[in-house]
Amino acid sequence: MLVLVPAFNERDCIGAVVADVLGAGYECLVVDDGSVDDTAALAEAAGATLVRLPINLGVGGALRAGFRYATRHGYDCVVQVDADGQHLVEHIADLLRALTTEHLDMAVGSRFANGGHHPMSWVRRRCIGALSWAIARGGATRLTDPTSGFRAIREPLLGAFAHDFPHHYLGDTFEAVLVATRRGYRVGEIPVTMRPRQGGRPSADLQASFSAMVRACTVWLTGTTFDLPHRPD
Amino acid sequence: MSTAVKQALVLAVGGLLIAGVILRLARRRLLTTRYALGWLGVGLLITVAAALLPFVGRLGRLANMTPTAVLLTMSSVILLAISVQLSISVSLLQERLRTTAEAQALLARRVEELEQRVG
Repeated sequence: MLVLVPAFNERDCIGAVVADVLGAGYECLVVDDGSVDDTAALAEAAGATLVRLPINLGVGGALRAGFRYATRHGYDCVVQVDADGQHLVEHIADLLRALTTEHLDMAVGSRFANGGHHPMSWVRRRCIGALSWAIARGGATRLTDPTSGFRAIREPLLGAFAHDFPHHYLGDTFEAVLVATRRGYRVGEIPVTMRPRQGGRPSADLQASFSAMVRACTVWLTGTTFDLPHRPD
Repeated sequence: MSTAVKQALVLAVGGLLIAGVILRLARRRLLTTRYALGWLGVGLLITVAAALLPFVGRLGRLANMTPTAVLLTMSSVILLAISVQLSISVSLLQERLRTTAEAQALLARRVEELEQRVG
């Protein structure tokens, strides 16, 4: 199992996140997404394996590079963790357990499962609710937090994602989950608590929420921008 | 000289001028053949349209448009088509750039690993 941390200009947190992951006994791969600060050097100094993208590709690009690294190095399971320190390392074991006990291909850490709460603006909460509804309509599962970047992914979904993965805003979360459920992969969620980000700047503000809605609508209009092969039985 | 003939002449000269500039750019390797051909087509189309101006006039009367409006409409449609084609090319290039960047990063990592093993 490999912990995958995509990082773009996260110098404030990356060292602590890597130290947490390694401290918990997991292997840690940081994919530096063309950062202009010293994120890459700090991640390496903290002991992470580093893959350094020469240009900024966005979260989805960093993730696909990470998935490819994982499949080529023979890992059959990857846990994605944000570089801003929001995600608690303790929950990684819970995600992995959910994969085996519930026979899932992807387990998502949700802030809202089982009535959980997380401080966020009303607009963002509504946007996430709308995306969740869209996924419930398209697939069988009800995911309360489809924009969560805290999740465990294993074969055969890992290989499918390594082959093709969307890289535009929200493609890596909402659209990836939507296509995966539609193609017969089993996606489930477990409740997790998240900290407020520990430093750096959030990638999702009001404008991002708005473009999230636009994306959700265009997915209905034009279909998804990528596809996966059907889950092999 | 009547207005129609003058218009046709200006149009023909314009079309040939475009074709000439495109040929020059292609020869200096600033344009690849793929795009040069498209633009050459546009230049030649304009020249042909000049020769067919009386016909354009008749076409315009059918749609209740002046010949000038017909030509402007046609050129807008052609420009739109070219923009869409360029957007498609850019999207494709973006995807290729992404794949190349990923491959480069993974290779750099691999080289580092091999260096560590050797050194």
